[in-house]
Amino acid sequence: MQRGVKHSTSVHVMQNPKEMPEKIIALLEASGASDIFVDGYEPMTGGYSRLMARFEASFTIDGATESGTYVLRGDPPEGTALIETDRTQEFEVLQAVDPHLNTPSARFLDGDGSHIGTPALVLDFTPAESTLPWIAENGVTSLPEKLADLAGAIHTIPVDCLPASLHRPLSGDPLTDQIAMWKNTAHTHVEALPIFHYVASWLDTHRPPPVPVSLVHHDFSTANMLVDEKGNLVIIDFELASVGDPREDLGYFKAYAQAAPPDIIDEDPETFLNRYRELTGFNEDQVNPSVLIYFLVLGVIGVVSQLSATGSAMARGVSSSTNIAFSLDGLLFGQAAWMAATEALEAALDGEE
Amino acid sequence: MLSQPTTDKILLAIADDLNAVIAPAIADEQAKVLLGQAEQLLRRLSRRSASEIAWMVEEITEIEDVLGGGKTRSREESLHLEDVAKRYSEASQALGNAIDEAFEVGDEQRLGELKQVLSARIAREQEILGQLDLVGRG
Repeated sequence: MQRGVKHSTSVHVMQNPKEMPEKIIALLEASGASDIFVDGYEPMTGGYSRLMARFEASFTIDGATESGTYVLRGDPPEGTALIETDRTQEFEVLQAVDPHLNTPSARFLDGDGSHIGTPALVLDFTPAESTLPWIAENGVTSLPEKLADLAGAIHTIPVDCLPASLHRPLSGDPLTDQIAMWKNTAHTHVEALPIFHYVASWLDTHRPPPVPVSLVHHDFSTANMLVDEKGNLVIIDFELASVGDPREDLGYFKAYAQAAPPDIIDEDPETFLNRYRELTGFNEDQVNPSVLIYFLVLGVIGVVSQLSATGSAMARGVSSSTNIAFSLDGLLFGQAAWMAATEALEAALDGEE
Repeated sequence: MLSQPTTDKILLAIADDLNAVIAPAIADEQAKVLLGQAEQLLRRLSRRSASEIAWMVEEITEIEDVLGGGKTRSREESLHLEDVAKRYSEASQALGNAIDEAFEVGDEQRLGELKQVLSARIAREQEILGQLDLVGRG
């Protein structure tokens, strides 16, 4: 074992059901709640990047008493996080999008981890089902339009409603920034990645017409969606959100669906695209099947750069976890998918000529 | 050292036992996810360990051939994994730089040649990867 390397399976923090209720009570007290009772603490699975648990609670806050089920979402131990993100910013984003989206409300924040033991936030629990099991039971027919509704809702939130802390394109052009991130990842990864060189230059030479910037979720996938009792999609997990090109989310969705099918968009692309264009006001040059292929490649770089950074850190001996090593395999999957996408788009463009 | 059974066979045996014996005995959901990840990783490491040094050495030669100016390899060149990985990364960097140049000047023919090397790399990566199951996500 190398000195200074944090070895952990990420299974030890936030996992003690005897200790955690007391810590949650401390957080709620510090947030102004009283008459607090916490019970039924239980770790959850479902995400790779943060630790999750659910619990029952009752408390009084702002003169009102409430009770229900809540979710605690916190950072894994230092040196084991798959991606590095900020709970305070996630809390601010959740509060900003709450009036616009079908997403669990953010209730309490422990930004420095002084109460929970790790930076964490408390969310309302949503009684909804994971998307892929829901599809297995109910089919996918209704979802292309629901997905367009969800994407349209995210991408039409006024940008001036979003927290000032949220990252905006430094160059003023989100495509330029994302292509620069591809190039930067190629240079900073622990070993040379020639496929990243190819992808970056290819993206630069095949830019689609621009659209206005918006909130971008950046991990817009079935893994971060639930289906509620009305059959509507619930979106969760805004830790990677920033301001950028909204089509990044559509491309990312398609990229993720290649690893975890089905691709809901491909089930009925015409319905999806028509509804999405109707909601956003984008035209057919700005959003069409070829543009989605372009963004299938461009839109993954936010997650890819994070995986590259943690994988490099593990190679250099400054972090270590099975989760990090496992997630790096996503890059192997991705490299084949990106190159196939560049060929598919070139073939489509050749056909138009 | 005992070279047999080879590393790939031992890793595969561990993965098989994790799946057949350990996994059914585990109730904790997070531990199950971790075990599922470990099992997939071990199967990939088994495939990788059997061939990775040979694959990297072969690809270095392929890159040098397509870039021109291939060097005469010394018999004493180290075959330790860390050393081969370093030479592989250097060759990959040269390939990346050549790709950048080909795009800058719009040399489609050159790009096609360089892309063939990338395609061969991807084919091997897919051989290592096998089936990707995003266990525990969503």
